[in-house]
Amino acid sequence: MALGFRFDLEELAADTIMLNMGPQHPSTHGVYRAVLTLDGEKVVKLENVVGYLHRGIEKLAEDRTYPQIIPYTDRLDYLSAMLNNLGYVQAVEKMMEIEVPERAEHLRIIMAELSRMASHMVMIASFSLDVAGWTAWFPPFREREKILDLFEMASGARMLPAYMRIGGVASDVPPKFFPALERFLDSLPEMIEEVKGLIVGNEIFIGRCKGVGKLDLETALAYGVTGPNLRACGLAFDLRKAKPYGIYPRFEFDIPTLPNGDAYDRFVIRLLEIEQSARIIRQAMAQIPEGPVQAKVPRAIKLPKGEVYHQIESSKGILGFYLVSDGGNKPYRLHIHSPSFVNLGIMPKLAEGAIIQDLVVIIASIDFVMGEVDR
Amino acid sequence: MEHIFTDLAALVAGWVSGSPQWVQTLVMGCLYLIGVLTFIFLNCIFLIYLERKVSAYIQQRLGPNRVGPRGILQPVADALKLLGKEDIIPEKADHWVFRLAPIIILVPAIMVFAVIPFGKNMIPVDLNIGVFYFLAVASTTTLAILMGGWSSNNKYALLGSMRAVAQIVSYEVPLAFSILGVVMIAGSLKTSQIVAAQENYWFILLQPLGFLIYFIAATAEVNRAPFDLVEGEQEIIAGPFIEYTGMRFALFYLAEYANLVAVSCLGVTLFLGGWHGPWLPSWLWFLIKVYILIFVFMWTRWTFPRIRIDHFLDFNWKVLLPLALVNILLTGIGLKLYQYITLGVW
Amino acid sequence: MFGKGLLKGLSVTWNFLWGKAITEEYPERRPRLPSYSRGFLQLDKEKCIACGLCATSCPNNVIHIETVKDEQNKRQLKAYRITVGRCIYCGLCVESCPKGALYWVPDFERACYRHEDTEVDLLAAEEVKGGA
Repeated sequence: MALGFRFDLEELAADTIMLNMGPQHPSTHGVYRAVLTLDGEKVVKLENVVGYLHRGIEKLAEDRTYPQIIPYTDRLDYLSAMLNNLGYVQAVEKMMEIEVPERAEHLRIIMAELSRMASHMVMIASFSLDVAGWTAWFPPFREREKILDLFEMASGARMLPAYMRIGGVASDVPPKFFPALERFLDSLPEMIEEVKGLIVGNEIFIGRCKGVGKLDLETALAYGVTGPNLRACGLAFDLRKAKPYGIYPRFEFDIPTLPNGDAYDRFVIRLLEIEQSARIIRQAMAQIPEGPVQAKVPRAIKLPKGEVYHQIESSKGILGFYLVSDGGNKPYRLHIHSPSFVNLGIMPKLAEGAIIQDLVVIIASIDFVMGEVDR
Repeated sequence: MEHIFTDLAALVAGWVSGSPQWVQTLVMGCLYLIGVLTFIFLNCIFLIYLERKVSAYIQQRLGPNRVGPRGILQPVADALKLLGKEDIIPEKADHWVFRLAPIIILVPAIMVFAVIPFGKNMIPVDLNIGVFYFLAVASTTTLAILMGGWSSNNKYALLGSMRAVAQIVSYEVPLAFSILGVVMIAGSLKTSQIVAAQENYWFILLQPLGFLIYFIAATAEVNRAPFDLVEGEQEIIAGPFIEYTGMRFALFYLAEYANLVAVSCLGVTLFLGGWHGPWLPSWLWFLIKVYILIFVFMWTRWTFPRIRIDHFLDFNWKVLLPLALVNILLTGIGLKLYQYITLGVW
Repeated sequence: MFGKGLLKGLSVTWNFLWGKAITEEYPERRPRLPSYSRGFLQLDKEKCIACGLCATSCPNNVIHIETVKDEQNKRQLKAYRITVGRCIYCGLCVESCPKGALYWVPDFERACYRHEDTEVDLLAAEEVKGGA
């Protein structure tokens, strides 16, 4: 039976389409742009485009005195603001060899771990939102409100407090801070149970996230992934235990690891890390002594000539501050090694072969913050 | 109270009783159409408010409470807002198909109500093939969504409409098979007869598996979570409705709620005893049961995450369809056993 | 059994449905903020000695001070202007004031209609108390 026309297989083959998952998208966690080449719904190639939130923090720092840079470091990873503060002030203190008073060190640990918890809570809430588990957004944000109230009690600002200073912290906490902190820590297990009931045990969620965005350990190490993403691949590497800073060696806590390295593990590990941070805070609360909260530092801080690089374990991975000083009261160069920028490097690898729904889950599970990526 | 609507219909029939047959059919048809339209629109307007309030209470917040007492006039504010929006049609979009799609999606949503028994003797058209007509007309919704998505000239819309075709067409099959069990027990496709057969006990007791399959398939048919892949907000933004603004978008929205009411009405008719119930008027019982079923739809929407498309289709062809077939098998065996026990013959 | 997680989710949502709302109805109920919450700046004119330390400690050149020397050759404050658009609410100025003349008030409801209103003269501003 002859047909009236002939098929040309070349012409009938499907084309790939280019889709721009642009800076404005409900699920790209900030102003992140991914240029996708799609075959149907499957991603053939993903290209990262960043820079939409570049504010020139490193350049601005060259014209500010060392204490004036602290509010700018808040705005790097704005979800865990005081961890950035901690990295920066410890870098300066390392170079000037300042010793921080005991009370200030304990307060720093409490604030750092609270920031870590706040950041992880945002991650689990927005991850749930990305898989359309709308109700599971509310318990983490409800608890995060309590953390922000604690920050306001201590410093006056909720999200970007700029609380740490070179040589200590800005001010002492009021007397009602510790009872409020205790109440918050007591209400935390309920939130974790609610998230477990709504999301973690849910078969639809498990089907959506297990095996998605699988990252094996060699690839993770080759790309330089750090933080909870690396710990979800099976390696128990945490800078707080590997190269401790501050008074972390005095506290007893576990490093949670999970074996699979898929999106599900990256989600659950942040819940486990919230529990470990709560453990550290309880120990710090028990051990905190009375005393001054700021060491004696000169009014105009001048760093000796030279350079220093200091790393801390931020909520996203290893955050590093590199300072070069020429002897004046302003840095010659400040460079920030941001973990989210490095973690974004595995996006093209993980996205190959994923469909758009999986891509949204992968983006949410890597948990990058564009403030840190673009600086 | 019970006969308020049937009396109204009899009154109008009395006015035109002397006229030729075609005038009588026309007038009564228009009357039923107006009744159905009033029912749909009042319900949809109330559902907009109810959905927001129920979702708010589930999420530990309050929902709309500014416009009117406890926010009851919120749908009015929403309607005014949508009317006031600029009507944008993308330049490269297919203009006629783009404009037709919202209208075409509303037509099946209204037509399916012709065979729903709203109360005792209150079916607009008592077709012999009632249930079959419902399923047939409801499938044409796919066409409108495909039209909307394709004509928008937008890649996200294209992805959404392709997903819609896969979803709605696939889930028709278990939907039809789950209804088949009920039809076997009632012995007829006529909705009034199915309701009459549920006088003593509701079919949900005889067909629990069938009800579960119907519920899941109906959630997929009306594009609600966990099966709202068509407009997967977090992935393809609004899917096929992405380029629609103002009143055109409102029509799509309205059609979605009308579809929800339609599958709830059918579910009540087939499984929850229709309008049967003591003391209260029959149409009031019907309304109460429909709203209970709508509440269960909303409860599942705000609890579950969205399912992935390949799991979704797997679930359909590998789980729901075999279960529906097993249900039919068990129903058949049960019917024969019942026949043997009561009549003594196979 | 397959579906246990789904049922657990439904039970969590059911409990939420009948629980209390966790949201605050603003503006009927005002938030209870500490007195040093970073709403806006306020200047105590008596305590200010016009030293200018606040202006130099600001990272963004937000504070603009004008002084005059009066008969006793002492510095007096003539104008104290803040460019609110550039302020990042870091609090370094409040910390640096040696007399405690500059302080925070929890007045966060400062949206205005004109751009000119974002240049605030703290000498002319009245005492505002915000929050609860």
